Amino acid sequence: MISKKVVILLSTLLAISPIFGIYLADLVGYHEPLDIVAEGLGLTEEEYTWTPLKDYTFPGLPNWLGYIVSGAVGVLVIIATGFIVKHFAVVRK
Amino acid sequence: MHIPDGYLSLPTALTSMITTFTIISLAIHKVYRGKSLTHERISLLTALSAGIFVAQMIAWPIPGGTSLHLVGGALAGIVLGPWLGMISMALVLLVQCLLFHDGGITALGANILCMGITAVLSGYTAFKLLKPLVGEFIASVISGWLSITLAGMMCGVLLSISWGSPLPTYIMAMWHSVLGVLEGLITGSVITYLNVKAPHILGGLK
Repeated sequence: MISKKVVILLSTLLAISPIFGIYLADLVGYHEPLDIVAEGLGLTEEEYTWTPLKDYTFPGLPNWLGYIVSGAVGVLVIIATGFIVKHFAVVRK
Repeated sequence: MHIPDGYLSLPTALTSMITTFTIISLAIHKVYRGKSLTHERISLLTALSAGIFVAQMIAWPIPGGTSLHLVGGALAGIVLGPWLGMISMALVLLVQCLLFHDGGITALGANILCMGITAVLSGYTAFKLLKPLVGEFIASVISGWLSITLAGMMCGVLLSISWGSPLPTYIMAMWHSVLGVLEGLITGSVITYLNVKAPHILGGLK
């Protein structure tokens, strides 16, 4: 369903993702335009949560490893969804 | 650009949820009823969705300024077509929201409306219109840029409507029109690469 090349590409991107998503983000302080708007309007985020994987962390793992494991979980869920659709949808072969 | 819970007023959150639900339902209906849903297309949808999900995790922080990452709406629209492209982005945003709390659950409709619908439709339309005029690479660069600028602006408009201030629309449109350059370059590079290495994937480019 997913070719070897795609698996290699996804694994490589996942492996380097903490460099950007954790290390560099912490180094300069991750700040996107929406944060600027929120500061301007004095908006605050509602702090309730429904998932143990909040913000791409994994319980018990250091942030960088949690980031990779969370990413892998996300990829697997997407692939599983595709698999289910492929299996059950009436498609034209 | 993922709006968290608490940033939108209730009427704005509800309206965007209903709009998104209607459009994505229509997209699913169109894809299911159309003649293009093959096993290969579902595999492509899965691979591209997984790729966009991972690419969004690679954020580029810009010291002293702001941060950016690929959104992928134009890419999804160009590769998969508008209907399947919207479904791909909706799937990515759904997984990000439900599993990782990336974007609020009350703002899920708004986030899909911005990054899953506005970005895909604007990117796809711009590419279709521009490709015969300026060629594939330039057309996909402009499509990527436009998709982010308009998605950011849509996000700003929803916040402006929520709080009765034009400020969010100005800030979001201005910043994303700058950050969109990178989205455009990545979109252009990926489309060019796919066209050279795997032209069969881009059957939708005809």
